[in-house]
Amino acid sequence: MIIYILLGVLAVLVLWFISTYNFFVSAKGRIKGAVQEIGNQLKRQADLIPNLESSVKGYLKHEKGILDKLADVRREIAQAVASDNVQKMSDAGSKLASILPSIKVVVEDNPELKGSDVVTKLMDELRDTADKIMYARRLVIDLTVDYNVRRQTFPSNFVANMLKLEELPGLITPEKGEHLEVSEAETKTPSIKL
Amino acid sequence: MINVYEAVSANKTKSYFIVALFFVFVTLVVYVLGQSFGYYLGYAPGGIGYVGLALIVSGLMSLGGYYFSDKIVLSISKARPANRKKDFTFYTVVENLCIGTGLPKPKLYVIDDSAPNAFATGRDPEHAAICATTGLLEKLTRSELEGVLAHELSHVKNYDTRLMAIVAVLVGMVALMGDWFLRTMWWGGKDRDRDEDSKLGAIFIVLGIVFAILSPIIAQLIQLAVSRRREFLADAGSVEITRQPESLISALDKISADHEPLEVANKATAHLYIVNPFKGGISGRGPSTALKMVNQFAGLFNTHPPVSERIKALKTMV
Repeated sequence: MIIYILLGVLAVLVLWFISTYNFFVSAKGRIKGAVQEIGNQLKRQADLIPNLESSVKGYLKHEKGILDKLADVRREIAQAVASDNVQKMSDAGSKLASILPSIKVVVEDNPELKGSDVVTKLMDELRDTADKIMYARRLVIDLTVDYNVRRQTFPSNFVANMLKLEELPGLITPEKGEHLEVSEAETKTPSIKL
Repeated sequence: MINVYEAVSANKTKSYFIVALFFVFVTLVVYVLGQSFGYYLGYAPGGIGYVGLALIVSGLMSLGGYYFSDKIVLSISKARPANRKKDFTFYTVVENLCIGTGLPKPKLYVIDDSAPNAFATGRDPEHAAICATTGLLEKLTRSELEGVLAHELSHVKNYDTRLMAIVAVLVGMVALMGDWFLRTMWWGGKDRDRDEDSKLGAIFIVLGIVFAILSPIIAQLIQLAVSRRREFLADAGSVEITRQPESLISALDKISADHEPLEVANKATAHLYIVNPFKGGISGRGPSTALKMVNQFAGLFNTHPPVSERIKALKTMV
């Protein structure tokens, strides 16, 4: 009788070990895939921007600033993709998102630009491609958090320790610095002068 | 103040609880009705018995529903497939959300209707479809649309579409059993020796009649409770994907402020939509307690929780 109970418990333990082991292995695989997806999206963006540039060149003749900014971003993205470095890729991805508002201001200021389909299309495509990279990075962050939490929490930490699994960095963000502090000026409600 | 992860896991626990309750209830009903049948007809059914027969009939029906439900629903709703050029925002937003969640991209459909609404269907993420009305695509901003579509995508991710299909089959089975039981009563049973364990038999027969009448209603109420719970869960899931509760709140506000009914929705498909397509009903917000009680009772029959409650839940995540 006792032997059967022990065998049952053993079987459950073995099954649990297998499923936990498989979780860690597949999580690692997924994270690797998600990182590659960032590169994939950046590549798409790098291919997309020249096309957009050429299609709006005529409209934005007077706004050379926008075209120059786009060209800069494209160059950085190309370098990041070539470097194969997760961190560089991630930084380049946020570059486009950061210049989007300034492009928007230019478009809002020019009624004739705002009305044109080509420019609307440009804005849509830029927002979309920036979103795609944001979500690709989000997946890396989420999967890494999941992996790291399971690695450290009871009882799956036994398996993790046994396999000597290392903590994965995900997307590196400095744990000290400006972005974690709120300055006096930032706490005030922004006032908008028109 | 709870964070997104806690909201999702709390919701999952509550959902499991309701579903478990439902299965217990169905088992109880099936047992009582089966016993009662046996006593009434004077013999315990051999072979697969009535319960088995009911299971087979509803099983066959559900199998059809399981594989073809998405196609049936889409054709009832007169949906056309979406394309990237015509429905740029819709198409690309779902594409992006799928990158963020790692889900395969569902098939996308558009209903030509100015009432803003959306639903998800399909038995698993590989066979999922998301459908939006042209009204939704025109009236919401891109961020709001992200909130709504992330809500639908989390229905897909949580297998809500499958769960609701199974629950619908169980409700159908309970109704079918009750119906059969009452019909047999009508035709009269076998003449029996009334002395033999008549007391127990009588109790079971009375219980059977009560169950046959009440259980379809109770089953339906539990089904609706499950449906409402899943809406909260999908709202929490949406925030987990987009991290922007504000955009879903403003989308819900916009959708519920729009009083145009959706013409292609019907009773069978109402629970699928993000907001109940049949608006209106009793909307008393007065201080009268009688009215409040009426509202609470009417609330039991809702497919969706009130938008105000959903927004309240979302605000805790901001």
